[in-house]
Amino acid sequence: MRSMAERQAFPLTPWTAALIAMLIMLAVLFLTPTVGVLLSSIKTTRAIALGDLWSIPGELFLGNYAEVLSNPAVHRYFVNTVIVTVPATAASTALGVLAGYVFAKLPFRGASILFLAIVAGMFFPPQVILVPLFRLFNGVGLIDTLWPIFLVHTALGIPICTLLMRNFFATVPNALREAAILEGASEWQVLTRVAIPLALPALAVLATLQFTWIWNDFLWPLIFTQSDEKRTIMIGIVNLKGQYTVAWGVQGALSLIASLPTLVIFLFFQRYFIKGMTMGAVKG
Amino acid sequence: MARVTLENIRKSFGTIEVIRDVSLDIDRGEFMVLVGPSGCGKSTMLRLISGLEDVSDGTIMIGGRDVTRVAPSRRRLAMVFQSYALFPHLDVAGNIGFGLSLARTPAGEIERRVRDVAERLSIADLLTRMPRQLSGGERQRVAIGRAIIRDPEVFLFDEPLSNLDAALRVRMRLEIARLHKALDGVTMIYVTHDQTEAMTLADRIAVINQGRIEQVGTPMELYHHPANTFVAGFIGAPAMNFLDGAVDDSGAVTFAGVTIMPSQPVSRRGRATIGLRPESFRLAGTGEADLVARLDHVEPLGAETLLHFDTPLTVRVNDVVPAVEGDTLGLVVDRTRIHIFPP
Amino acid sequence: MERENRFWRVVLLFLPLSVFAVFVVWPLFSSFWYSFTDWNGFNPDYAFVGLDNYARIWTDRLFYGAIINTAMWMVAAIVLPTLLGLALALLLDRQIRGARIFKTIFYLPICLSAIVVGQIWTWIYQPDWGLLNAIISFVAGEPFTHAWLARPGSALWSVIVAWSWQQTGLSMVIYLAGLTAIPSDLLEVCDIEGATPWQRIRRVVVPLLIPSTIVVIALSVINSLKGFDILYIMTGGGPFHSSDTLAMHMYNESFKKYLMGYGSAISVVLFLIALVIIGFYFRQLKRIDEIYG
Repeated sequence: MRSMAERQAFPLTPWTAALIAMLIMLAVLFLTPTVGVLLSSIKTTRAIALGDLWSIPGELFLGNYAEVLSNPAVHRYFVNTVIVTVPATAASTALGVLAGYVFAKLPFRGASILFLAIVAGMFFPPQVILVPLFRLFNGVGLIDTLWPIFLVHTALGIPICTLLMRNFFATVPNALREAAILEGASEWQVLTRVAIPLALPALAVLATLQFTWIWNDFLWPLIFTQSDEKRTIMIGIVNLKGQYTVAWGVQGALSLIASLPTLVIFLFFQRYFIKGMTMGAVKG
Repeated sequence: MARVTLENIRKSFGTIEVIRDVSLDIDRGEFMVLVGPSGCGKSTMLRLISGLEDVSDGTIMIGGRDVTRVAPSRRRLAMVFQSYALFPHLDVAGNIGFGLSLARTPAGEIERRVRDVAERLSIADLLTRMPRQLSGGERQRVAIGRAIIRDPEVFLFDEPLSNLDAALRVRMRLEIARLHKALDGVTMIYVTHDQTEAMTLADRIAVINQGRIEQVGTPMELYHHPANTFVAGFIGAPAMNFLDGAVDDSGAVTFAGVTIMPSQPVSRRGRATIGLRPESFRLAGTGEADLVARLDHVEPLGAETLLHFDTPLTVRVNDVVPAVEGDTLGLVVDRTRIHIFPP
Repeated sequence: MERENRFWRVVLLFLPLSVFAVFVVWPLFSSFWYSFTDWNGFNPDYAFVGLDNYARIWTDRLFYGAIINTAMWMVAAIVLPTLLGLALALLLDRQIRGARIFKTIFYLPICLSAIVVGQIWTWIYQPDWGLLNAIISFVAGEPFTHAWLARPGSALWSVIVAWSWQQTGLSMVIYLAGLTAIPSDLLEVCDIEGATPWQRIRRVVVPLLIPSTIVVIALSVINSLKGFDILYIMTGGGPFHSSDTLAMHMYNESFKKYLMGYGSAISVVLFLIALVIIGFYFRQLKRIDEIYG
């Protein structure tokens, strides 16, 4: 309905042409930084230093990528990041499913206050809990392992996951739960046989969001790890900055490779991603 | 198979009492309709019987067994929801067999019994369809299939027809009536706000208002002998006319400036509310009018005509009336059908 | 039934609530406790120093600088991503060929990490061959080599611009969602009443976007409080602490100078600021709900 009306309301007039020109300009402006990295990654350091970064290269120079991909430290960073990101994504999503289900389908006195308190957790700057967590993990000897990163991301994912899952489960009619219960299902069976199968799209939204967020995180690995063996990829970029001080091309290639998983997820699951962003109206 | 007995049921949500001391006896194999305006507590009563909601006080017996504290799935009952509550991610066979698969029934047996039920409801060719591909009527049959596969002793219906369009509603109403006959001895409890459904389906009707049962009886008992103005006004469409009036010592009834001697003796004396159904009138011939009223509006419905007078009074007559708004007509009151209620 | 429900509530909530309590709620309250101590980060023991850390905040010039920078960041966060996001959403909320590609371009930065964004913008600001100086040189006709990130006057704003570049996509997405929620019959009424496109936007669309605007502004402000990663890689809070924010200052005091007690006191201040904003945000959300359903 709407699109039809819009289509008719905007024939190609000077007005729309100006709009489109404006859009294209903005788009170019927005793309420039990303294109810049892309260009730098396929140019030699010499070419960049000579001020040739922003021209379209005549030939593809892959030396920077070769340099990054052959660096064993980069492999380690990647493995560490995966080890943290995948389980933490799964764990926070799972916990969000449990809590979200209760808040949506088994409300109790004080539930809305508790829910609000949990959701508020996603808005606070993480610095607020930095020192006590450092002391906690230091005390139990987990500093410089990947455990604290996994645990903290799991815990910090609970607010957004609970919020999105509660909102989703709230759209599942109560009658479905009741019908299942009359058929002999326990609450656990209602959850696993009815609610979760229906929630698969919502789970996809959450998983893409959480994966991106955890993969891109910098603060927690910075605080909880010290040795190069335990660093994640975002710390790696900063670390290697020293090693490749003027090797801008290598840095560009590393940035791109580090962003690849989230870029791929974003491009493939864009719809889910955007939905999650707006539903949670969330964290950047 | 199972008699359902409610004894002094109460239910409160917080400080709000929604069911106030309800007792009701439903016979084995009976079709009992709970009817009342929205918010009267009829759906809550159904949920209490099903066990989805706990009673605050009182006892529920099914088949002589006290099930007040028994889990819903062990009460040997099945429920058809207003929305049908079909699982959107399962096909028709999966929906009908859901309960059996929860009980870890062997796949072969599930398939056999699902097919059996589907054939009885003539939905065997729909078994691999998903719920969203079904029409309203088909959905209802699947919901019924999911209910009967478990051989329940009691069948609960929560306004199952209110999502259907008018034509389908009439058809599905017949189907439910037929189902009741086919499932010999299965007790059915049916909730609706539509008094026509109640009248056409019920063996007995319980009229509920503000958490209490106003009256229980067969449709005709309720129609002809309503216990109070609420029942009288709720059962029958268009609704009964209520007029302020009085009964004198001789038993003669006075209202709207007319005095009439009812054919049955009236025990009440003094001021009263007089109830007259729209069909308890006829147009008067010359000189026989009990009362004369000015016509406000005419609604010709084809088979019958509704006349709205400014008394106010609604009258239903079976013929086409050559009268227009503003005309004055004489009416004769059927003396056998005058209802007297407390004022 | 209620008995079963109670049982399942406990069973299902146990794990999420305990993880949340141990790793989020408890540390939050501990921060208050440590803000009254002189814990140094290594020694298991610490002494209780009363309000010393808070007294120190009072005299800490760097803290004031950080507060002012955080405030400036917030103001910029209200203006830049909000206005740009709104403009983009209004431009894209129509059937333009390729609107999807445009949208993808504008929210692509959301999926990048702050570190990568910082890296990219460091190059743009690079004095010798960075794009910004190249453009200015080209326009001015003479070489321009301002070191954007190395000068106290421009470092903070340079970071804020980079941050806004990433944040704008989020604002746009929220505005677009708000726009699709406007019933089309309202817009058709405008056409029937003979409103010009501009009148339609100013008199009908923008007022109806007030709820989205509240969400966008609140999120921008809240996220600006979290500004840390991008600052860390671009300026590290420098030069001479000229781009320090509260979050950065807290990190420096705790993990560079190992004044964990003092760092905790700063984090308590940060918490209280966040609490006020979040409280305000939730109140507004409730109002939106009541007014707009």
